[in-house]
Amino acid sequence: MTADRVRGVIATFLTGAKKAFDPELPGDTDLYGGGLELDSLEAAELSAMLEDEFGTDPFSAGEEMPETVGEVLAFYEAAATA
Amino acid sequence: MIELLERAAAGEPSSPAVVTHRGSWTYAEVLAAARNVAAALVERGITRFAVVEEDAARLVPLLAGAALAGAEPCQYQPDTDAAEFREHAAQLGHDVVVSRRTDLGDVVVDPDVLLAHAGEPPAAAERQPLLIRTTGTTGAPKAARHDWRVLSGTVAEARQRPGQRWLLAYGPHQMSGVQVLMHVLGTGATLVAPFPRQPRDGLAALLDPGVDCVSATPTYWRFLLAEARSRGVDLPPLQQVTLGGEAVPPDLLSAVRSAFPTARVSQVYASTELGSVASVTDGRPGISADRLHSDANPDGTLKVVDGQLWVRSGVGMLGYVGEPDVASEDGWRATGDLVEVVGDRIEFRGRDSEVINVGGVKVHPLPVENRITAVTGVEAARVFGRANRLTGAIVAAEIVAADDADHDELKAAVRAAVEDLPRAWHPRSITFVAALETKGGKTIRRIEG
Repeated sequence: MTADRVRGVIATFLTGAKKAFDPELPGDTDLYGGGLELDSLEAAELSAMLEDEFGTDPFSAGEEMPETVGEVLAFYEAAATA
Repeated sequence: MIELLERAAAGEPSSPAVVTHRGSWTYAEVLAAARNVAAALVERGITRFAVVEEDAARLVPLLAGAALAGAEPCQYQPDTDAAEFREHAAQLGHDVVVSRRTDLGDVVVDPDVLLAHAGEPPAAAERQPLLIRTTGTTGAPKAARHDWRVLSGTVAEARQRPGQRWLLAYGPHQMSGVQVLMHVLGTGATLVAPFPRQPRDGLAALLDPGVDCVSATPTYWRFLLAEARSRGVDLPPLQQVTLGGEAVPPDLLSAVRSAFPTARVSQVYASTELGSVASVTDGRPGISADRLHSDANPDGTLKVVDGQLWVRSGVGMLGYVGEPDVASEDGWRATGDLVEVVGDRIEFRGRDSEVINVGGVKVHPLPVENRITAVTGVEAARVFGRANRLTGAIVAAEIVAADDADHDELKAAVRAAVEDLPRAWHPRSITFVAALETKGGKTIRRIEG
């Protein structure tokens, strides 16, 4: 359930940023080089959108920055089961 | 202040000076009340006091009476929180409070007692001090010490215009409100002062009882025009429209000009510390660059240092409370306003304190805001910094959308409107809100955590 919402926010962001992406957003998709090719400004934008939607985001609150879509999902799964 | 009132009362004593929801007061009546106040202040030995009063019909004679007696008034917002008031009053050393409120301290004097006091008014004081608290959004409260005689220098020779009606859209506790008061008294005009002073109250006053002249912030004008549009009312013609207190977005300037095609439109540049600095009426953004100081123009009162506007003002404050007079050798003072000289104009780029540092890139919110407010379907917008772990801050925008606007389409249009700006300047957070956060009628652009 949460994973779908998180993927929805990421997809909305990527659409607004005019990025090409696999609509399934597989967990192993790299956020940066070789994957979605986000730069720091785009990652900052994604973190703000996630924070607006869920009240917290893995870029700001996590100990380690997420590097893949799966790590973003895992952050919220961990938060949901905590 | 008192001299302006005396001059107007001598010329047209029965002309209305102040109109509020309670009624109308003539210049003769306001002057008589001011003399009562002066006599009462002298008898009670009050030399400085806080004023918490929403009613302009009481406020004008209180301020004028204080000037006559040489006592220093300092206004606080009428709806100020009692605990916050006590804290600020203690910091500024205000032991005496003139107010109809009873929750503000130990020594609270009812303004009606002062206004009705029968006594012999004193001779006009040599010094006529006035304290104006700054509307700064950060740090401890500050207050600028002024003298009415210095401030009123700009209207001392003004032509009398009895019957002209000015709306009081600013709080009279703000420098801009003080400017309107002085202009009205200096020209023998009438102050129309509704309360509350929100744009919708101003619009109501435009329609009834009617005004000829309005001075307000760009933010206020934007909401007044939006209110008129959404209520479908026909705006009455105005003689004078003045915008000040913030940089004026070009799209708003043209909206105001088309809403009031016969009005003289002025942009004024003034501050709590500097008083009135410049005024332009040519309908173009910014200030004329021929005011710049140079070897060829040694009388110029403006200069640009490191992108910031510096001013040499003849009507500025004496100093801050608790600090010595600021009159420096050369009289130049930094304004905190960032500007750029473009051709023959000095154009405003925003406040020094509003600059957003996005990953080391300095972003000025105002140009971004101007792009966004020009988008069809955007009623109003504010651009500010939002803290972010990755880049320190990102540019954030809050937008008040028109009722029929599609938010997704609007977001796309906003993105397109800023596309040619450097990437760090692009808003990374766009949210839709019902109203913008303002303070003293100005849009707040400070960074948010």
